[in-house]
This record gives sequence, structure tokens and C-alpha cells, in this order.
Amino acid sequence: MRGVAGLLVALALASGCAVPLDPPPEGPAEGGGSPRAGGTFRLGFPEDPHTLDPALGYDTVSWWGEQMIFSTLVDYDDGTTIVPQLATGWELRDGGRRVAFTLRTDVRFSTGRAMTSADVQYSLERLLKPALHSPGAEFFTGIVGAEDYVAGKAPHVSGIEVPAPDRVEFALTAIDPLFLHKLTMPFTGVVDRETVERVGDQEFARHPVGTGPFAMGDWTFGQRLRFDRNPNYFRPGLPLLDHVEVTIGVSEQTAWFQYQRGDVDVAGIPSAEFARVIADPRYAPVIVRQTTLRTTYLGLNCEMAPFDRREVRQAVNLAVDKARIVDLADGRATIANGILPPDMPGFDPALQGFPHDPAAARAKLAEAGITGRIDTTFWVQRDDLPLRMAQSMQQDLRAVGIDVRLKPVDFPALIEGVRRHGIVPLFMLGWEADFPDPSNFLTVLLHSKSRGTNNNTFYSNPAVDALLDRADTLLDPPTRLRLFHEAEVQIVRDAPWVPLIYPTAVSVRHPRVRDYRLHPLRPTRLERVWLDS
Amino acid sequence: MLVLALVVIAAAAPLLTSYDPAAIVVQHYAGPQAPGPGHPLGTDTLGRDVWTRIAYGARTSLSVGALAMALSLVIGVTIGVVSGYFGGLVDATLMWVVDLVLTMPTLLLLIVLSAVLPPSLLTVPLVIGLVGWTTFARTVRGEVLSLRERDYVVAARALGASHARIMWRHLLPGVIPGVVVLAALGMSGAIGIDAGLSYLGLGVPHPTPSWGRMVSEFQTYFAVAPWLVVMPGVAISLGVIGFNLVGYGLTDILGTRRS
Repeated sequence: MRGVAGLLVALALASGCAVPLDPPPEGPAEGGGSPRAGGTFRLGFPEDPHTLDPALGYDTVSWWGEQMIFSTLVDYDDGTTIVPQLATGWELRDGGRRVAFTLRTDVRFSTGRAMTSADVQYSLERLLKPALHSPGAEFFTGIVGAEDYVAGKAPHVSGIEVPAPDRVEFALTAIDPLFLHKLTMPFTGVVDRETVERVGDQEFARHPVGTGPFAMGDWTFGQRLRFDRNPNYFRPGLPLLDHVEVTIGVSEQTAWFQYQRGDVDVAGIPSAEFARVIADPRYAPVIVRQTTLRTTYLGLNCEMAPFDRREVRQAVNLAVDKARIVDLADGRATIANGILPPDMPGFDPALQGFPHDPAAARAKLAEAGITGRIDTTFWVQRDDLPLRMAQSMQQDLRAVGIDVRLKPVDFPALIEGVRRHGIVPLFMLGWEADFPDPSNFLTVLLHSKSRGTNNNTFYSNPAVDALLDRADTLLDPPTRLRLFHEAEVQIVRDAPWVPLIYPTAVSVRHPRVRDYRLHPLRPTRLERVWLDS
Repeated sequence: MLVLALVVIAAAAPLLTSYDPAAIVVQHYAGPQAPGPGHPLGTDTLGRDVWTRIAYGARTSLSVGALAMALSLVIGVTIGVVSGYFGGLVDATLMWVVDLVLTMPTLLLLIVLSAVLPPSLLTVPLVIGLVGWTTFARTVRGEVLSLRERDYVVAARALGASHARIMWRHLLPGVIPGVVVLAALGMSGAIGIDAGLSYLGLGVPHPTPSWGRMVSEFQTYFAVAPWLVVMPGVAISLGVIGFNLVGYGLTDILGTRRS
């Protein structure tokens, strides 16, 4: 018994003192110096990229790798403005039904072969090939002739024309204000036809060849992934790095330790350490931040009682303490009042959301005629932060008379569940924009035609649908944004969501890493990153 | 002593703390708070009082342990007595079932069962109980095999007592000492398994406090807030050690063999 008591005292003492935070790795002093070529940039990922075939990848890690190897006709600058990449310029004709590009003539694949407009045509037709099951195909079915091609009635997509080796023209079935944005997606990365035909579609995901800043070096599945500088890259002097080496099987926590030891160049900060890291002046120079085009929300199933009633949904909005959720996210977020995140065109900082007001929430429930307590289920991703956020909301809702059972599930199960009718009453999800246009949130997530895909609250309001339908086919930006704003205001009032937070991305870099920037929309590009010594 | 302390803590939890175990008591969350006045064991990653959650967690662990053990006991003893008493084909069949359950990888079975059954406070003890009865069955059967040859049992049979009466009145009392010891050990096992399941994220539903889940959820905070992991870890150890000691103590008192 005395032994046990001694052990207890020792443990109590030990548990009182936290381990002090290690400093960031040592490196050259900040500032000054002109970009220098050479060196190997090191990263750690938990898993291999799902694929590196640009037609197939539709997740952040795959896109990160695809951006290394492939280029697209157009791209975003450091923000959300579209700039030429493989193209030198473009022109809208026929009131926007025809988009004509002129191409650079100095582009070569990493194998040395010159790229022409025929390669652009081949890559887009490959993307649309039904056998490939590309998740990106749906974005390009508005090209004239795409349907016939998909149905096997035509050998080519008639609306993709290549009048000259340096010209590509697209004919569209309808005006599409998003067409250029769609072309920035890695789906349209130009692939090397010779390699695809040599290794086959299946193997191409492991042996990708494109015109991007890096070429595939070596990929030992489950262990490491290496990219080498593409000597034929069309932008002279770039990229600056010789190699990018990714160690696979490194969890966020392990990557953090390896970062502190100086073994990886960029890492995320684990939630447990975040507060200390931010408060530590030694880390201030190496922290990289970026607001993102993301909104995290609590979805209320508008088809399931009692959330089929607007007052009840509004009551939930009033009950949730969003400030605490921002705190739980270590302040790596701002409170969300609306649907659209801050960097999105059309974002209205003055949009009236619901305040945290439990008394008003109870009044709303009474107004809806609810007398007893509500008993419901809340599906949430089985991860640390989502579970903590959900438990916080569970307490908020309990206070106004809504008893919530949490159902922690894995992400694929969550996505599968919310797409079906009548299964998930409450859920928490985030949405990251594919392109900086309000339709990517409002139409994709809240138009009644999106029920069954991404409208997981099954929200349906004909007035909102009408506004979105009109906005979606307009080219005139101010009018579009006004219509989208009207729709957003109505949606917020109808309350199918409790918009929770707009997350901010935060990483740390090794002091030797220079010009490393996070992008609001796309994975980080390493083209201009360099290493100081 | 340890067990008594745990039982007292579990029973008197509301008196030992002024907080609700699920309530978020920190006004502005800024990471877990270190142990200090007001929060003797600090606060957790949601701003809840850790001492409160450990005290109420004792309720969870003890009730899960007791329910699971009771279920195992009822199933195990019934099967053990029936199997030992009748022998022959009945015995062979039932022991085949025991072997079957024993050959299944326990943890895997637990994970599958708790994933299939809806999450509730009863699911975990049900799952542990359904898997854990084999030890009871085997031990009791062994005991009954020897008891049924005793003179008083033979006499009862000669006097025309029914099977049920013989098993209930004559055999069951004979196996109780062994069962009591096993029950104490089973309790400690159940607490350990409950902690393990909770650690894997399959335990009692949120926000019910659970020691195993506390260890699992807070492990990444070990460098920053070690008390979050150490305290529930200590609680689990004490629970398991406590019931083990009770089991061994009973062995000595009741003079049964250690198995």
C-alpha cells in the first residue's frame, strides 16, 4: 500500500510539470539574399497520394503532387486572379460561347518532347473518356460535342478545336462564367500522350509525365516519393529546388517532431502544441498563415423533423456559441456568419448572422410549438477537433432543450450517410471551394438540384433556386454577385446551416526555407521556393 | 481498500465536485489548464473539470465492469453447470461452443460487435459480457464434474430430485467460492477491456466520461498537459489492480485454487 502511495505522489509531481517547448530548428538568419538554386526540400505525409494522374485525383494531396508534374492552360496568381500558364492569352467570342487560347511555343514535356495544342486536346478528351471514370469529367460536359464523345458517337469532341499547333479553341453549349476557373483545376493538366500510350492509363498514375516544374523521380509506395527538377521546364531558371523528397507514413505528430529536429522543411502544428507555439517569439518568424476559401458548418437536415421547420433551425443557430468553437480551434479560424468565406468574391463582411443567444433560441422553439425536449443524432468525423467542436455544441444545444447523441464516424461513412435521405439529422462538414466563385458554394451546396450530391441538408427554396439559376448563366460580374448575395441572405435566414467558422491554414517552415507561401485555394506550389544556407 | 475507495468515489461523485461532468466550466478556452485551485486536476481540451470527469468516470467504469461481469457470470455459470452435470453430448456441444468463442480473436470480435450495435451505455457491457463468459463456463464445468460424483448429489438423484433442483440446490452452491474469485478478476478484466475499447474510440457515448477515452483523446497533449493522460491512466491502473487484489484476497480466504 505504501508503494502505491509513493507511486501516486511521484506521478502527481511528474504530471504537474509540462515538457518545455523545443525551439524551431536552427538555420540561416531571416531576410536578405537573392534566390539561390539547388538543394532538396523534405516533407512528411501520413499516406501516399491517392493518385498522380491529373484526370483522377480530387483531393488535396493528389492535387499537390499533380501541380508539381503538370501545367494547365491557365492558373491562379498568389491570390484568386486567373493568369496564363501554358497559354499566353485568351479571348472570349460569341458572347462567351467560344473561348480561344494562344499557347506558348516553348513548352516541353520532361521527356524533352515539345508540347502542342494536340496534347491539350488529347488530355481533355482523355479526361472525358468514360472508361477512366474521372471525377473531373462533369466540369467539362458543357463543351460542344462532349456528350456525343462520351456516348461513343464521335471519335473527338467537336468543340475542342486545334486550328494550329499553338492555338486551342473551345466551343461551349451555353455561356459558362466558370469555364476559365474550371481550366485551372489540375484535372486539365496536360499529359504526355506517348507515356500514357506506353504504360497505359492505370500505370500512368504511378509514372506521370507532364510539363510541370518537376518530374517524377522515384515512388516507393508507402515509403518515399521523390520529385526531381524538370530540366525542360518552360519558365527559365525555375524551379529553384533540385529535389523534393516526401517520406510517407509520417503522422502529423511525427512530422512535427521531425520538424523540430530539422528533418522536414515544412509541417503543420499539432493542436496540443499550437497555443504554446503561437505564443513563443522564437517561432514567430517561421509561421506561415493563410486564410482559405473554406467554411465549416453544422448541417441541419431540412427533410427530417423537427429540423424541417425554419424556427427550429433558427433556434439551433441562436444556441451555438461560435466564439467557443473558434477558441477550441486554437484561434485558427474566424467566426462564420454567412455561407461564403472571406476571400470569396461576393463575401459580405456586414452580413447579419445569428448571435449566440440561448434565451432567443428557447423563444424560437416555443414559437415553433415545441414543448418537450428534442432528441436527435449528430454525425461527426471521428477526429480530435471535430469531436471537441461537436461536444461543445452538444452542451450548447442541451442548454436550450435539444439532447444530442453524437455519432462519431469515419469520413467516408459521414459522406456516404449525409447523401441519403432521412438518415442524418445533424452533421458537421467543411467545404473548400474548387474555384473562387460564389456558385461553388451556393449552387453546389444549397441549390435544390444538388440534393443527393452535395446539398446534404436537402434544403430547397424555389426563390433561391431561381436567383442561383439566373446568376449561374450571367457573365456580368456585378449583377452575378448581387444575385448571389440575395440568395445568400435568404439562405442564412432559412438556416439550413449553422455556419461555424472560416478556418485559417497555419504551418511552420524551416528557417532555411524561403518564399514558401500558402495559397487560399490550391495546395502550395514549390516552383519558386528556395533554400538558404 | 482501493476498490472501496473507487466505489465511494463513484457513489459520492456529485458530493465530491460541484461541476457537471459534461459541462464546459472554463469561460474562455485557451488550452487545458494546469491543476490549481478550483480545478485540482486541471481542465481538459474542452474546458471541463478533469477531477469531475475522473470521479464520474469511476461510475462508468464500475457500472460497465459490473454489468459485463454479471452477464458473463450468468451465461458462464449456466453453461458450466449444465455442461458439467449432464456430460456426454451436451457437454461436448457446449464445450465446443466455448472453444469456438475462445478461438475468435477477442479484440476483433469486440470491435466488430461495438461497431454493429448502436452506441449506448449498455452496448459496451453487453459486448464485453458476450465475449467474456468462457472462463466462467470452463471453471464451473470442471468444478461440477467433480461435485456431481459426491455422495450428496448421488443421493439426491437417487431420491428422484429433478435435474433443475439438483443443479440449483446442490451443485450451484458448491461452485460459488470459485465463481466469486473469478468475478473479482473478471471485474478487473472488464474495466481493462472497457478502457481499451474506449481508447480505440468504441466506448460509451459522448459526453459520458470514460477513463480509457480520456487517455486516448489526450495522448497528444502529453508534453503540454501530462496530467490529462496520467490521471485517468492512474485511475485505470488502480481499478484493475484493486479488483485483482480483491480476487487474490478472496482466493486465500475461501481456500480455492488459483487458476
